[in-house]
Amino acid sequence: MNSPPETPSSAERPSVTDAELLTAHINGDPHAFSEIVKRHRDRMWAVALRTLGDPDEAADAVQDAFVSAYRKAGSFRGEAAVTTWLHRIVVNACLDRMRRKSVRPVADDELIEAAERETPMPDQTLEREVSMEVSAALKLLPGDQRAALVLVDMMGYSVEDAAQVLQVPSGTVKSRCARGRAKLAPILSHLRNRSEANRVSSAKGAELRDG
Amino acid sequence: MTGDTHYDLEILAELAEGLLDADTAQRVREHLAVCDPCGELLADLAAVREVLAATPTPAMPMGVALRIDKALAVEAESRRGGGVGLAEPPDWDELMRDAPWERPAASGDVPRQAPEQTPEQPVRLGVVADDGSIVPARRRAPRRRRWAMPAVAAAAAVAVVGTAVTATGLLVAGGDGASVAPPIALPSQSSAQPSVSRDPTRARAYVVTNSDHNYSDHELRMRLNDLLGPAPALNGASSESDQVAKCVTAVSKRSKLDVFAVDRGQYNGQEALVVASWKKRATERVRIDIVDPFNCKNLRKPALGRW
Repeated sequence: MNSPPETPSSAERPSVTDAELLTAHINGDPHAFSEIVKRHRDRMWAVALRTLGDPDEAADAVQDAFVSAYRKAGSFRGEAAVTTWLHRIVVNACLDRMRRKSVRPVADDELIEAAERETPMPDQTLEREVSMEVSAALKLLPGDQRAALVLVDMMGYSVEDAAQVLQVPSGTVKSRCARGRAKLAPILSHLRNRSEANRVSSAKGAELRDG
Repeated sequence: MTGDTHYDLEILAELAEGLLDADTAQRVREHLAVCDPCGELLADLAAVREVLAATPTPAMPMGVALRIDKALAVEAESRRGGGVGLAEPPDWDELMRDAPWERPAASGDVPRQAPEQTPEQPVRLGVVADDGSIVPARRRAPRRRRWAMPAVAAAAAVAVVGTAVTATGLLVAGGDGASVAPPIALPSQSSAQPSVSRDPTRARAYVVTNSDHNYSDHELRMRLNDLLGPAPALNGASSESDQVAKCVTAVSKRSKLDVFAVDRGQYNGQEALVVASWKKRATERVRIDIVDPFNCKNLRKPALGRW
């Protein structure tokens, strides 16, 4: 299971599972954990950035999370996927941070900077605007609703997976999502109109209007 | 019949999520069939999901990935050294200050930043881009790699800057670099253009480096010496350095402070000059101006930092 330690590059062991890497890490393979990090950091970053809405906070949270995962690897029980476990640590790090800092008012230019960092392509101004508005709107939600919406609506995880990450029943995830969407709807509804101008129109919306 | 009671967004969201009991759900649906405003609200709710799903998820910036690598390297170190548990996140700046150069770095470890003088090592710095899955990251990959490539050269540059510094007595913190680097520094000092770092330093009273590093606000809050130090010094007379001089003049005019270090790089992906001026020498407080190299306009609000 442990691949030769002198070939740490990811290309050398494409078929090793996360769980195997974690076991290798626990057994002292010095490269195993960095491989896990490399595989999942973009997703963890996205979750943290969306949940916290602030790149600096997100960087701190992800770092704390990975360090803590590194230490706690031995306590991983294997009853969930490694990714679920990692997500849980990241989300908890984010929620901790939110609780500790309460809500910090965010200056406009910070939001712009964050959004620019996220979508640096110059020709995607519309996308950038949307991204900024979404970040700002998400910040208005309580942490638990935000985390649920980030996982389910933004990252596309199933309600069941999100429930595992958040360690709450599926019904709770659903109701957090529902309440979160209800709060976001008035704020983001103008984006719907804008995107409908470009696209045909949301099928559901058309259905409801015409039917 | 257009019931006079409309349903609020929360009820509608619960309907969409299948959270209402059968009777209530039935009533709401019947109402929706005849009530346009409520239908609109339901469409708004669906749009929230669409908008959230369509918002792009960014890749982790290089600076953050590096930080995490560093943190884990320190963690690995403490694990091997008898598993000393760290009660709280340590001060990475402090802990890592000497590490990449001082450690023997042989026995395979979690990715070190620039442990030994193997040519493949610095490529790690570009890893975020090399993963390749994210387009924006890839777009800038060549630039990043240009910055990342010469780890040996970078280590040497610290020494060059460091010695230049001790020679002119310009930079307080330069001593760090000098104390760490000598083994690598000595050869490079004699072979690599010594005039580059010294003459301009004296003539201009500020050091110009060319890291091409893509700075983020977060990094700019860390000790700048770590960021600006290990970069190749920029050659003397060129149109580029005229530009730099122009901007330095502009910045010091605005700030009424003495500029002592300039780095050519990027700020959030945009070409930029990072201009450091002493705010308070004794406490190593600096003012950092990020300006575009063409019009010398500030790309963000000048901020205080540490050197």
